[in-house]
Amino acid sequence: MSEPGVGIELSHVTKLYAGQQQAAVEDFSLSVHPGELVMFVGPSGCGKTTTMKMINRIIEPSSGSITIDGQDVLSLDPNELRRHIGYVIQQIGLFPHMTIAENIATVPKLLGWSKERTNDRVDELLRTVQLDPAVFAHRYPKQLSGGQQQRVGVARALAADPPVMLMDEPFGATDPITRQKLQAEFLKLQADIGKTIIFVTHDFDEAIRLGDRIAVLSERSQIEQFDTPANILANPANDYVSSFIGHGAGLMRLALIPIGDVELDAPDSTAPAVDADASLRDALDLLMVTGAERVNVSGGGGSLTHARISAALSKARQPVEAS
Amino acid sequence: MSTRPSASRKPAAAPQPAAAPQPTAAPQPTTAPRLSLRRFATPLAVAGALAVLFLWLNTLTLDSIEQRTLNTSYLLDRTQEHLILTVVSSALVALLAIPAGIAAYRVRSKAVRAFVIALGNIGQATPAVGVVILLAIVWQTGFYTALISLVAYCFLPVLRNTLTGLEQVDHATREAARGMGMTPRQVLWRIELPLASPVILAGLRTALVFSVGVATIATFINAGGLGDMIVNGLKLQRYPVIVVGAVLVAAIAVLIDWAAGLVEDLVRPRGL
Amino acid sequence: MSGSLDVFLARRWEDLVTLTLQHLAVVALSLAIATVLGVLIGLLVWDKNVPRTAALTAAGIAITIPSLALLALLSPVLGLGWAPTVVSLVFYSLLPIVRNTVVGLREVPAHLIESARGMGMTPAKTLISIQLPLAWPVIVTGIRVAAQLTVGIAAIAAYVAGPGLGLYIFKGLSSLGSVNALNFTLTGTICVVLLALLLDGAFVLIARYSTSRGLRV
Ligand SMILES: Nc1ncnc2c1ncn2[C@@H]1O[C@H](COP(=O)(O)OP(=O)(O)OP(=O)(O)O)[C@@H](O)[C@H]1O
Ligand SMILES: [Mg+2]
Repeated sequence: MSEPGVGIELSHVTKLYAGQQQAAVEDFSLSVHPGELVMFVGPSGCGKTTTMKMINRIIEPSSGSITIDGQDVLSLDPNELRRHIGYVIQQIGLFPHMTIAENIATVPKLLGWSKERTNDRVDELLRTVQLDPAVFAHRYPKQLSGGQQQRVGVARALAADPPVMLMDEPFGATDPITRQKLQAEFLKLQADIGKTIIFVTHDFDEAIRLGDRIAVLSERSQIEQFDTPANILANPANDYVSSFIGHGAGLMRLALIPIGDVELDAPDSTAPAVDADASLRDALDLLMVTGAERVNVSGGGGSLTHARISAALSKARQPVEAS
Repeated sequence: MSTRPSASRKPAAAPQPAAAPQPTAAPQPTTAPRLSLRRFATPLAVAGALAVLFLWLNTLTLDSIEQRTLNTSYLLDRTQEHLILTVVSSALVALLAIPAGIAAYRVRSKAVRAFVIALGNIGQATPAVGVVILLAIVWQTGFYTALISLVAYCFLPVLRNTLTGLEQVDHATREAARGMGMTPRQVLWRIELPLASPVILAGLRTALVFSVGVATIATFINAGGLGDMIVNGLKLQRYPVIVVGAVLVAAIAVLIDWAAGLVEDLVRPRGL
Repeated sequence: MSGSLDVFLARRWEDLVTLTLQHLAVVALSLAIATVLGVLIGLLVWDKNVPRTAALTAAGIAITIPSLALLALLSPVLGLGWAPTVVSLVFYSLLPIVRNTVVGLREVPAHLIESARGMGMTPAKTLISIQLPLAWPVIVTGIRVAAQLTVGIAAIAAYVAGPGLGLYIFKGLSSLGSVNALNFTLTGTICVVLLALLLDGAFVLIARYSTSRGLRV
């Protein structure tokens, strides 16, 4: 039903902004597999956004080549190119004068879809991002909460079922609790649709939770390490990466341990519930947020306490660090 | 005449205190440095236009009717009348409307405020030519009638600008001043008026430019000014007379607006 | 000294209605032309520094020119009546409309424009379907200011035989001393005031109903 992702190849890409001596992005090469969710993470001003925006040519590279599914993007009409790349930015950028339905229908309209097909697609997408079409389709953006707007932003980017999505700090403007919820929903969604996604963030925690692979970037978009979250946590390539991980490494590692890997206590019907396929980090977050003593694992027939979680963490540390 | 240069270079914002300079208007797109060469583009352009006018006049052979008006002493007399009407009325407006605006502000009564704003809106909707002619009919024709209708016509925008200018002073600033122990009078003179001055000055500038226009129609009630040339030129079908009258009055309007803008920029409190 | 107003009105109300409608017509026509022209100019110059500054400066200077002077200059070229009236009303309407169009277009947040471009809208399409609707409330305000301006100027245009209520205002002057002088000027002036206020009210409604619900506060 949904179009699977395609590969993206950046090779020796450089961007020098007019009137600047130093390149914002220098000799950047990276290969993204089809269906992969790659996180760009790095400090402010390191060139994450610039690198990402060269892929849909919002910013034109000074040199180098970029291909999507083997096709050189520089040889395509930029407008046509962009209609097939989903794009989500931090400010969301919903058009305030259009209803939610009209916002989502923007690209299908540009592509000349029929009315019925567009309407069906809008309804389908609203349900995908857990918004009831009957309630939300005809509202205006200002009548939605920040988190709801952010979901519409994702739905809008998915409208024409693009194989590639570019996301620039899409959850950056939301409060921590909403952000976690959006991240969890987003992971589920991605498991279904399997798009190739480049996701920019400067929140390393977010990178660990979401990414299949993470590119840790420094000044001029230099790649310090490009690897899976587990490998980066276990083997930081250099001091720069270590310092970026900082003290939160243990907590972050929790995000990589599925609840299924841990022994459970007896269920407690009064406790809040967490999904069986969530990570320990999600369980811990729920404990913190609700202030409960334990959380139930839904369908799993058991519950988790702080003690269980810390035990799992100390057990996980040795083998990972040894590898 | 009732040409309202509204919020001169700011975007027009219509709601309540309509066309007059808006305290809430969006930031100006370009602000010229206080004194730069670009500042003098306007007077140079006006000088250029006048030079062209003069050269064109020299190529014409004027008949006796035209000679009667197109000579230095006639032009100077009309220009002088025009300027006197404009400047005296604007000065009177400043002397009357600003204190009235301050008074309206200080009584802090919703009713007074609503009255002033409503009056301002009606004043803005009133055609200047109607005011001038009405006054001439119920009273008399001549210079004084023109002067009074000019003052009446320009009074409301300045009054309203004074009121809204004072009202838009940030509440926290006012409270901070009171908190330091300033008396209400000191707050007015040291804080509120300086902060409101750009809006008040913008109102005066509008009034000045209005006056140039309204002074032109003073000719209808025999109050002289450059309008005489325009009206006579039209009556006698003498195009050169119309052109000279119209270009001179336009030049005066543009120069006065320019000079007022210069003064506005020079006296605006630094930091605003 | 003056004839009674009710007798005057009873005898001339049809005349007054015609003049009021003429006044409204010439203002509406001029505003329509000025809106098309002004928005077009705004769309052409809003993102180019030099043309934008030039357009705004020119319009700013133009609006200071007294209207009797402009009408007088136009009449030898355009004759008398509607033509010089409409041209001068358009002339004075341009500043508020162009200025507000430019400001409105420039105030559209950069991230909305980037969103539109990022979705594959061409620059022209972005301008028409994103920026223009978002700038519309500001543009309507400009038109509203222009409306107030032109209702008053149209009264003066009667001096060059322009249509509308100015005729009555000037009739009072030309019949100075006669019984009906005051009645003529007074009714003319009051009708202009009422027309201006009504038009202003109409613009509040126009602004409301022509603006997307998503933008209304
Ligand atoms: N339009 C531009 N013109 C000139 N320089 C720019 C422009 N956009 C970005 N830069 C510069 O390029 C560098 C990289 O910017 P970029 O926006 O890619 O950083 P980033 O990693 O996304 O940062 P952040 O996390 O703050 O969003 C910065 O030094 C920035 O100042
Ligand atoms: Mg960025």
